[in-house]
Amino acid sequence: MVRFSIRLLLGACLLLATQLASAQTRMPQLKFADRTLTNGLRVLTVEDHSSPTVAIQVWYHVGSKDDPNQRSGFAHLFEHIMFKSTKNMKSEMMDRLTEDVGGFNNAFTNDDVTVYYEVVPSNYLETLIWAEADRLSGLNVDDANFKSERDVVKEEYRQSVLAPPYGMLFYLLQAKSFAEHPYKRPTIGSIENLDAASLQDVQDFHSTYYRPDNATLIVVGDFDSKQLDSWVDKYFAPIAKPSRSLPRVSVKEPPRKSETRLTEYGHNDLPAVGLTYLTTKRSDPDADALRVANAILSAGESSRLYNALVYTQQIAAEIESDDNTLEDAGLFIVGAILSEGKKVEDAEKSLLTEIKKLQDAPVSAAELEKAKNQLITDQLRERETGNGKALALGEAAVLLGDPARVNTDLARLQAVTAADVQRVMKKYFTDSNRLVLYYLPEASKKGGQ
Amino acid sequence: MIRKLFFSAALCATLCILCFKTSVAQTPQATPPPPASPRSGKFPTPVDQTLPNGLRVIVVQRTESPLISAQLLIKNGGEVDSPELAGLADMTASLLTKGTQTRDATKIAQEIESLGGSLNSSARWDSSFASVNVMSSKIQPAMEILADVVRHPTFKSDEVERLRQQYLDNFTLALGDPGAVARMVAARVVFGDSPYGHPVSGTAESLARISAADIAKMHSRFYRPDNAILVIGGDINAKDGLALATKYFGDWQKPTTPLPAVSAAMESAAKGGRIVVIDKPDAGQAAVYLARTGIDRKDPDYFRGIVSNSVLSGYSGRLNQEIRIKRGLSYGAGSTLDARRDVGPFVASAQTKNESGAAVADLLLGEIGRLSSAPPADVELTPRKAVLIGNFSRNLETVNGLVGQVGSLALYGMDLNEINRYINNVEAINTADVQKFAGARLDAKTSNIIIVGNGKAFLPDLQKKYPNVEVIPVSELDLNTALLRKKKPSAD
Repeated sequence: MVRFSIRLLLGACLLLATQLASAQTRMPQLKFADRTLTNGLRVLTVEDHSSPTVAIQVWYHVGSKDDPNQRSGFAHLFEHIMFKSTKNMKSEMMDRLTEDVGGFNNAFTNDDVTVYYEVVPSNYLETLIWAEADRLSGLNVDDANFKSERDVVKEEYRQSVLAPPYGMLFYLLQAKSFAEHPYKRPTIGSIENLDAASLQDVQDFHSTYYRPDNATLIVVGDFDSKQLDSWVDKYFAPIAKPSRSLPRVSVKEPPRKSETRLTEYGHNDLPAVGLTYLTTKRSDPDADALRVANAILSAGESSRLYNALVYTQQIAAEIESDDNTLEDAGLFIVGAILSEGKKVEDAEKSLLTEIKKLQDAPVSAAELEKAKNQLITDQLRERETGNGKALALGEAAVLLGDPARVNTDLARLQAVTAADVQRVMKKYFTDSNRLVLYYLPEASKKGGQ
Repeated sequence: MIRKLFFSAALCATLCILCFKTSVAQTPQATPPPPASPRSGKFPTPVDQTLPNGLRVIVVQRTESPLISAQLLIKNGGEVDSPELAGLADMTASLLTKGTQTRDATKIAQEIESLGGSLNSSARWDSSFASVNVMSSKIQPAMEILADVVRHPTFKSDEVERLRQQYLDNFTLALGDPGAVARMVAARVVFGDSPYGHPVSGTAESLARISAADIAKMHSRFYRPDNAILVIGGDINAKDGLALATKYFGDWQKPTTPLPAVSAAMESAAKGGRIVVIDKPDAGQAAVYLARTGIDRKDPDYFRGIVSNSVLSGYSGRLNQEIRIKRGLSYGAGSTLDARRDVGPFVASAQTKNESGAAVADLLLGEIGRLSSAPPADVELTPRKAVLIGNFSRNLETVNGLVGQVGSLALYGMDLNEINRYINNVEAINTADVQKFAGARLDAKTSNIIIVGNGKAFLPDLQKKYPNVEVIPVSELDLNTALLRKKKPSAD
């Protein structure tokens, strides 16, 4: 059945690297090595021989917030182009080196980063180190390939935004929630901006952002560390660090001054309502308490929103919340798809009531403990695989600026108290910091609601 | 935004396949360094036992992370729904977690989530299940809850009503999604009014008819230890697993009545060759499906079948090569061969802009036909087998994947050791096998096409090529019958 998925648009892959030690559970620590080449490439590695495979990731610190002017969606389109011809590889050769030997590759782009990843049998590690170095050192894409891949991305837009009944809702929630910051441009972009993109844009983007000092290489799995170091030195070290500076987004999103209310129409049969609040960036200490608050609101059927709106009042078919802290800002989203015959105003009121309860009284010790247990178990599940471990390490290194946080975030989350949760709910969930979006069926517009 | 939809992240593998050759390198940088010699790994061996009450207990240990997954499978699911009560098995399974003799729905959710665990239950084709996934230190209380919901559900009327409304809402949501509509229509086109034909979660009409008594009856008929399999996987050894099973399920009484006889015969409903368009003018994209009968799980052609499917499906499979990579017509095209207790479906699909609906239908039909007329030579086949082996191996790396695979083998009465023969079985398949399978089992002429989208944009092209197109406006779609069309209202 249809799921209510904010994640598709707000972060391709939601890296919930939340953690907490439970007295009875051994929480495996990730023992990683950390070095930086003279050209600025950071290399993080975890040797782990539990299966004869290896996970390789390259994180580029560039995301859709860095899309060029009038090129919304470009960082993501570019990610697709990175699988076309490079300096020494012809189109789709990355698939030959991974998929054809029983591995896989993929990549994702979100607001802040672009991440390429492969998992292969470990005897192919050197091959993949070569391949990742090759596409960092240069692209060689022709116009036909560029256009055909752009068509693929337009189909991805249709499939994620236009076809699903609530695809456009989440697109709009992000687009309308930021006034100044480029986060107002959803990662997938727009068809017209994609159509305007050219091959020259591709070369410019590569030379601007795809450089060793803007990249982090992560390798987790079955390898010998000395041998891996020698391969990294052989293939990555010769890539020069450009002398020009790296552009960074410096726009600050201004605080909201008053509530914004919007109504939009779509091809959904059941109305929906979404609320957004500007919160804070991921590295802010408040982010931990917001993460716990999010779990209390929507993790599982015992969560506040599910229990109130879906179970008790039966006003909603689906609820969702997402703390969604990004590198430069945070956008907390709370929403509901209504049950048949229910009023969107009533659903809004119920959502606000649940928010107010968290502001008015501290959560109980048991409820706090439950949220933390849920967050730890999520983390254990994420880290079942080498690829998952590498994602957790990349998030700590690139988005939080410190790979050690892959292990120490545990303590931070453990330290969150009921008073912290209440404090962040009061601080950010104010009337003037709210955007309310009603997403109604097109049919209700004609009929006059 | 993810580049491809096909793969879930996970890992593991034991691959010994050298499938690309490097030419002589001019410079160290210009060609990829060749692979080193392969390393091998092994899969855990399931331990299989049966309790005196008939409950089969399988434990499969994997200690890399401190997690345990336990799944209680009932050997029947949506296929035993009577036609007018489509969705009964799924509602029954979903209601397990909504109240027992000692816990109400809120308490169940509260207790399992306090452990950080997840508890799920639903019915699929051929089985119903309830499962928990939890940190290994919390397995005792989690198992107690699992046993309680399976053995002592109460199916209170307020919970039945609540769930009914949720299912109705979900059905409404599904009707808004071209892909979801196409899947439901495809099942009707392939299986007609026979057991796999209805939506497994029911229709608006069938859901309205299901009563609490129907649900209680379904539970008492099928939920019994001698019709169940308990699979426990992850950070636990066989002895502890068996002790856990005995503690919480050992006193589950086997009824004295015999197991219900389930009619095994599936009428082969469809001759195939239909082209069905569901006209949905507001569709943001067209969902294009090719659907036909496939194979059952015990078919001797099973490995020929899954290797043939792998030639078509996956990122570099033929469908995605032709539809996405060469032509940019879709974000992703692929196929599935769903082998069930009886013959299941083969489905190939892609979503595309409405204007390309007819072109994509042609490509799907063309590629199915080409599998027998131009079967893959080794240079193409070897990598596609590697894909299958790699996906299988990675799937066994998570406790949920491991339990799922073992549970599926047990459900269909397969030897559990097939896990350790899988790689050899796949590698044994050759070009002639694929050609034979494709010719005999995946004939394009007896395949059906279903397109759900804005008909105006693709119908003229489609009708030029296929004069037998059936067009059904989405407002007249009836998923309760193989006719797919609501009866014309008599004058009222």
